[in-house]
Amino acid sequence: MSPELPHFDEQLISGYIDGELTQQDQQRVRLHLESCAQCRQISRDLQNLTAAAMATTFPTPFDDQWDERPRTSLSRWLSYAGFGLLAIWTLSLVAFLVHQAVTDATSVRFEALLGLAPALAIVLIVASTAVDRLQTHQSDPYKKVQK
Amino acid sequence: MNGVKPQQSKAQQSALDRALVIGARDGDPACHSELGRRSAQYCYRFALQLTADPELAKDVAQESVARFFDHIDRFDSNQPIERWLYQIVRNRVRDLARRDRARSKSGATSESLDALIETRQLPTSDASTNPAVALEQADFQRHLWNAVASLTEDQREIFVLRDFHGLSYREIAETLSIPTGTVMSRLHTARMRLRTLLRPPEDEGETPIHPNRKES
Repeated sequence: MSPELPHFDEQLISGYIDGELTQQDQQRVRLHLESCAQCRQISRDLQNLTAAAMATTFPTPFDDQWDERPRTSLSRWLSYAGFGLLAIWTLSLVAFLVHQAVTDATSVRFEALLGLAPALAIVLIVASTAVDRLQTHQSDPYKKVQK
Repeated sequence: MNGVKPQQSKAQQSALDRALVIGARDGDPACHSELGRRSAQYCYRFALQLTADPELAKDVAQESVARFFDHIDRFDSNQPIERWLYQIVRNRVRDLARRDRARSKSGATSESLDALIETRQLPTSDASTNPAVALEQADFQRHLWNAVASLTEDQREIFVLRDFHGLSYREIAETLSIPTGTVMSRLHTARMRLRTLLRPPEDEGETPIHPNRKES
């Protein structure tokens, strides 16, 4: 920094080269750079850094290198419904067993529901996976290419 | 590896991302698939720049994309998706760093980024007519990204968001939840640190850090 301009805030140079300063500060830095060779050098070096960073390309994995695809909303909701039902069934079963142990009473309709709920839960979870598989198949750009 | 850098402008990309978000919400499988592909690329690049570890970056990208899709219904489609994705990736990388103290303590990464990048000609150079200049530029870019890995987490995030992803100070401030003034201060500190690291040891600060850039 120039010794004759001791109050110049050096970090304004970054704001200046990024065009992020107010018009007043932009003008202030421009005038300072005209008179200070050291800050002019810093400004040039930082611009070189920025240009080199922006000109870099980072290769990303090809589409078939990702392990899994994001799930669709339908798939997620089916899965939530399936697991939710399983949780309700488990809690109901526990409650039923406790109730039976206490009262020794049975209800045929409730037992039927207990049998049906896990089957429905499994169907929903399988449907969730099927939706994912179908989605993958439909969006596969190589599906028409013969293997 | 897919090394093609998007040729669309930032505005075109944002418009396409917005359309894909709306399509994916409506259950269009093509939009869902394309949005998944694009968001994975955004996340992977940023995660790679923060971690310098391709396998870890891939894991972070996949987790981040899954998280993005879990909450896509809550996303404001008028906002660019990158910023939301960058926040998710950044938080995930920070969580991992917290868990792996040895890694974060050093501030450095297991590999350097220089082996993971492809380089392009700088727009103002004469590298297209001079292979030696092109090689020298590529070498400079490798050294630069190697030096980026030695910055602190805070500095690295800001440098990458500004000087690779091209976010404005306001966008960075919103993404990282810090004041705009702090963005400029940290960014300048990061750039000055890189300038010091890239300067030849015997140099006293009189020559430009990039040998191909002539003084104007």
